[in-house]
Parts: sequence; structure tokens; C-alpha cells
Amino acid sequence: MTAMTDMRTEYARTLVELGRSDPRIVVLGADTTDSLKTSSFGREFPGRLFNVGIAEANMVSVSAGLAAAGKTAFASTYAIFLPGRAVDQLRNNVAYPSRDGMPGLNVKIVSSHGGLSVGPDGGSHQQLEDVAIMRAIPNFRVLVPADSASVASLVRVMASEYGPFYMRMARSKTHVVHEEGADLRPGRAVTLRDGSDCTIAACGITVHMALEAARLLSERGVSCRVLDMFSVKPVDHAALERAARETGRIVTAEEHNVMGGMGSAVAESVSGSYPVPVSMIGARDAFGESARDSEIPALLEKHGITSVNIARAAGAAR
Amino acid sequence: MGLQYYRVKRDVLRARRLVVRATAAAGSGHPGGSFSMAEIVGCLFASHLRFDPGNPDDPGRDRLVLSKGHAAPGLYSGMAVAGYIGEEELGTLRQLGGRLQGHPDLKCPGVEFCGGSLGTGLSFSIGLALAARLDGRDSRTYVIMGDGESDEGQVWEAAMSAAKFKLGSITVFLDRNRIQQDSRTEEVMPLGDVAAKWRAFGWNVIEIDGHRIEQVDAAASASRSSGMPTVVVSRTVKGRSVEHMEDNPAWHGKAPDPAMVPVIQAELGMQFMVAPSIIAGDMSDLAGEVRRCEEAGADLVHLDVMDGTFVPERTFGHDKIAELRPLTRIPFDAHLMIDGPARRVQDYVDAGCDIITVHAEAVDGAGFGEILDRLRGAGVGAGLAVNPGTELPGWSHEFLPSVDQLIVMSVEPGRSGQKFLPGTIGKMARLREALDRHGFAGYVEADGGINCGNAASSFGAGARVFVGGGSMSGQQDIAGAVRAFREAVLDERRRLLMREAAGLGLEERWVDLHEGAKRDRLRRLAGGGA
Repeated sequence: MTAMTDMRTEYARTLVELGRSDPRIVVLGADTTDSLKTSSFGREFPGRLFNVGIAEANMVSVSAGLAAAGKTAFASTYAIFLPGRAVDQLRNNVAYPSRDGMPGLNVKIVSSHGGLSVGPDGGSHQQLEDVAIMRAIPNFRVLVPADSASVASLVRVMASEYGPFYMRMARSKTHVVHEEGADLRPGRAVTLRDGSDCTIAACGITVHMALEAARLLSERGVSCRVLDMFSVKPVDHAALERAARETGRIVTAEEHNVMGGMGSAVAESVSGSYPVPVSMIGARDAFGESARDSEIPALLEKHGITSVNIARAAGAAR
Repeated sequence: MGLQYYRVKRDVLRARRLVVRATAAAGSGHPGGSFSMAEIVGCLFASHLRFDPGNPDDPGRDRLVLSKGHAAPGLYSGMAVAGYIGEEELGTLRQLGGRLQGHPDLKCPGVEFCGGSLGTGLSFSIGLALAARLDGRDSRTYVIMGDGESDEGQVWEAAMSAAKFKLGSITVFLDRNRIQQDSRTEEVMPLGDVAAKWRAFGWNVIEIDGHRIEQVDAAASASRSSGMPTVVVSRTVKGRSVEHMEDNPAWHGKAPDPAMVPVIQAELGMQFMVAPSIIAGDMSDLAGEVRRCEEAGADLVHLDVMDGTFVPERTFGHDKIAELRPLTRIPFDAHLMIDGPARRVQDYVDAGCDIITVHAEAVDGAGFGEILDRLRGAGVGAGLAVNPGTELPGWSHEFLPSVDQLIVMSVEPGRSGQKFLPGTIGKMARLREALDRHGFAGYVEADGGINCGNAASSFGAGARVFVGGGSMSGQQDIAGAVRAFREAVLDERRRLLMREAAGLGLEERWVDLHEGAKRDRLRRLAGGGA
């Protein structure tokens, strides 16, 4: 059993650390600063945390204004509301405005509570469309980290690279996948395990499942490559083309609608470079429902998102 | 800095002309909302915004955020007048590959906000203002919002936030033109007492007539010291200055037909002002007379200063004007019928006059040059007056491009109760030619015996400011007199425009552009009726 850590804690911890050396960083919240842990940023830097109340649209546009005046704005709340409640603002206030060839404004949207693993709050709060929404907006880069080490690395990336980002975190603690100090770069998938018979591309909590599936398959003599596709946009075309050529089949896994999510990004990529069958594990155009914390694995299973299913899909490659 | 009344007037006229040119060239766009905010934009650029077109990204600049982004032609035109872009670029509005996108876009330097999706500009401005505060910059953010876009819930999210963060550096001008795309705002989604709503949200609220430069100016100034965010609820008329567009929902998002542009431009050039003179009223209660002028809806208050030397009568001096100044915001149009005005003009600046006119008979070139410099430096309009027997002196020619107003006396100054000298009409027409030749871009003011009977002929001869004496301030019902006078001038304007259209073979089409009662009136006038 691997260790479990909390993404939100790491998010806020990294922001505070970066905030010490970079005074441009400001943080915005929408009545969820305790939950997202960003209140710690406000304690360390009074005046640089703005809580706008339950008003996500306003939060995004205010962030855009701060960014237009030179700030690096991190805006956070739950994924169901952000992007859910603020798509127009994300598109027209953040992504669209571009001066002198600079793509969009310097706003970082970081949401927590993505996917079915939100659990007890139910289907109204289980965001399964955010990646599809954000991927379709030009200038936005879309990140779905697997663990807290990834979060720490990607927050650094977002703080140092100009432009709009969307990063989705999970509500619950997640398995440690990467070593502490991991250095993740947008557009570069991480090969967590090499293999020749099949490739599993996963993001978020499914990365751990993918590793588990690969282990199960290796017991049956199937050699599986596992890619952490945390960078859904830009997607790592080179890694995917290599995977297609070298393993002949790709299985994608995500706790998101299979329409428009990471799996779609993978399929779009290989269909243009080296077409191979792509099987997608994920919610099949459906909503979630309440599940108590202990029942979250069962909820995921109800939507087919398990290591066993990933293994089954990958095993069918032979 | 003074009001710069005439400078702003000219800027706004230029901007409106550019809006017509741009939208006609583009074949689409939103003239109605561009016109309703024209005075606000003009006044902000001329007198309030700190900006440098040569350095549009200067971090210390003030920001102008156009939240009602569809009024982009109005913003671009204001920016052209302010020097950000060349006038000819307005012809590229909405063109493929151009910088002047259909809605404001950062592609164009000087544009601060990509508007278009309504209801987001105030939130964005809050971000700008918070950043300025964090950086210790005193830059202000001026926001122009529409009443239609106030339907968006985000406006009220932002209203709460600005109050919470105590953003006194934000001034919102709410362009309350009462029309949105479908229809009138109160039919589509009633806003009701919108000032009360903003007050309830914790804002400093100022209510003004958004077409009156002095009110826009005063509100912008007052907002700077409030300590809280300010909303200036500005009553405006959609399509203002072009009669067939005025208050007509059809002109929310429709471009003028290029064939009609010459007539529309002519109409824009025929804006006029009414300036009742308080000495024609009760001389023992000048304060009361100023109030009567205000209530009558005068554009300017005309102050006849007579010293008993230059002219036989004596009226009042700068002390009296200083006393009257706090009573009203209406610009004071001071007509100095005094000897040696160069020595005394500063007193009248200090007293709060907005326009100061001196007599050609009382100065020479050197003296007038000195006066002009002083007035321009103070942001006060500069005028020159000529008596019935005086032609434009040769020394005045070099100054004419900087002169804001030329008073053509139609009676001998300094004695009341005279009749309008009919020779004035011919003189005005004659002067017009000389004024054009010497680059005069100001306004001709007719002064002396002006009434409804000679309104049409003096307007036709080029007068654009009318001093009202016995026919206005001398009347018990001054409001009715001002209204009647305006109607007389407007009817003449309508006739002249129909003639202009007829010259282009467009008379019927011009008349048909006007709807309902407006069309009926034109038909009556065309038929020779009063």
C-alpha cells in the first residue's frame, strides 16, 4: 500500500512558498478558501488573498483584471463551479484578451473536487465535464495531476510560465505516484512504467489504477506501458505516437466523461499520427451520484473506472 | 483645470462624426449606444483620464474600461480624438485583419478590456483597481456600463465586491439610455430605481444628465474624493444628436446607410446652445435669475459684464459672479463689455467663468494673445466679440483657430430694449466665409434681440449659440420660452436638412428614416406648415 497525500494542502503550501519570493502572486477564492487551504496564503500575505464570496463569475473576471495589471492570479474553488459557473468569463475575460502576441491573461484556474471521487455530495457536485470544457478554449493549458508531488511541480510551472492554465485536483487524498521534487512539464507525459504490448494513458486518480492494472497484467505476461497524461493540453504527441507505434494499442482512463476528455485528446492525437485502437475508460456520458467515502470505489466501479477494467481493456489488446 | 467646455464639445462632435463614418463604412455596428455615451467619453479623455497615447502601457495611467463593449465605435472614436489612433483607421472598423474589432480588443493599443460579453467589465475593473492598490499606484479606473447589461447578475456580484474592498478608485458611469436590444429596458427587464439599487449595494451614487458636459465633469471630479466606489447614473438618450436615431430602439445596432451620411454629418454640425442672459430678468435678484435659467434647461448662463466705460451701462463684475458660481454647475458664459480686459480677465477666471469673451474694440492683437494664453492655460473657453459696426480685425486672424466663440452682436451693446439689427444675418454669412478661411473651429454666438422670429434666419446664417434676453429671461415662463425657442431652431434645422437631402435626391428617404410623430412633423414642415 502506497502513501496517500492531500493535493489541496500541497497546493496552498506551494503558493505560500512561491508567494514569498514572487510578490506578483495573488490568490482568489469564492467562499472555499478554508476548504482549498488558500486561507493560509491570506494569513501569510494579508492583502493578497481576495475572497469574493459565492460568485465564481466575478472571481474569474476580477482575476483577469489583476492579471491585466501585472499580477499572477490563482483563482480556486470547486471544479463543479469553476469552470462550471464561469465559462464565459474564462473564455472572454481570461483566454481571449491577448496583447502583443501574449496568449491570454496570466490567470491560473485551480479547482478541487474534480470527478466522481467527490463522493457524498452527489452528482450535482461531481464535475465530469471540466476537461472537455477547458480543452476547447484556446490559450488554456489543462493539467490533471495524479498526486501532491505533481501539484507542487505544476504550481511552480504555472507561476513561472505566462498564460492561462486550468488545473484539476481531487477532493480526497491520493496515492503517491511521483517522487517528491518531481519535475513535470506541460506537454511532456511521464512514462511511469515501460511496456511493449499496450499503453495505458491515465490522469488524476486513475494513474494509480493504471499502475495497478499494469502490475496485474504483468502477472499474466502482458507488458504494459503506463503514461501519466497529466498534461491533457498540450498533449504529448511524440509520446503518444511512440506508444502507438511501439505498443499498438492505447487504453485511456480518467474520471471524466469519455466525450471530450483526456481520452479524446489521445484519440485526436494518434488518429493524426499513427492510428491504433484507443479504448476509453471513464464516465460514459453519464452523471454521478452520492456515495459515502467508503463507497467511492464502488461508485467509480459503477462507471467502469477500476484497475481491473483498465487491465481488462488493456489485456484485450492481445 | 477649468471645464474646457467648448473643447469637449468639439471633441464630442468629432467623435460622433467618426462613429457615423466608421459604422457606415463597416455596414454594421452600434451607433445608438455610442452616441448616448459620447459626452462621457469625451469629457473623460479631455479632462480626467491620465494617459499617454505614445506610451499606452504606462503602468501609472488611468484606465477606461468599456463594459458595454458593443459601443466600440464610440470608444474608438474617442480614442482617435485623444490621439491613440488615426482618424482614417476608423474606416477599417470590423474589417478582416484590422485592429478595430467589432467589440473592443487588446489588439488595439490603448484598449484596456475586451468587452462584448456584457456584465463583466466592472469585475475586471475591480481587478485593475486592486492591483493598483497593491502596487501603491494612484491610478483610477473609469468604467462605462450600460443599463441593459445591468440585467446580468455578475454586475451585482461586482457591485458587492467593490464595496467590500472599498475601491474608491473606481468610477462607474452608468449609461442610462433606457433602451436595450429588444426594446425599452423597463419592458425587457425593469431596472426601476437603479440609483437606489446601487445605494443599497454600498456605493456613492451621483445622478446626472449624461449629455451635459459640466455635470459629467463635476461627477467625475466628485467621485475622486468619495473614498467609496462611485456610480454616476447618467440619464442619456440613445442615438443622441441625430433626430431619427434618438430614443429609437431600432438604432441600437444598425449602421447608417452610406448614402445618408452627408445629411447625418450635416445634422451633427447643427447642434446649438441656448444661453439666457440674467440681466434681462430681475436685476435685483440675480441669484434667482440663475436658478430660473437652470430650471429652464439653459445650456449656458450668459453674464453681461458692463463697466459703464466701454459701454454706458454698468451691471456687475467678477465679485458678483463669484457669488453666483456656487448656485449652479451650468457653464458661465461671461461677456466682458469692459475696457482693458487683458488686465482683468484673471479675476473672471478666478470667479469661475467657463467661457470668457472680450470685445475686439477693447483689445489689440498683443492683448488678445495674452488673454487667449491665459484662458487656454486655465481650461476656460475664449471668445471674441464684435459690435454691429465692427468687422473681424486683421490681427484676429492668426488667433482664430484657437478661439472658441465669436459673438456677433446684433444690437449695440450696453443698452437694453433694442431690436435685432437685420443686417446681422448678412454679416454672419459674410463672416462665415472669413472664419472658415482662417481655420475657426469655434461657435458663432448671436447676441442681441434674439427671439423666435429671428431664430431661423440666424441659425441659417451659422449661429450656434443664442443669447436670450427679453425673449427668454424677460419672460415669466422662462422654461416655456426656452422650449419654444429651441423648437423654432429645431424646425429650421429640420427644414435645412430636408433641403440638404433633397439636394442629394434623398428627401423622401430622409423623411422616412424618421418614425411616427417625427415623420409627421417633417411632412408638415415640408408642406410649408409651421
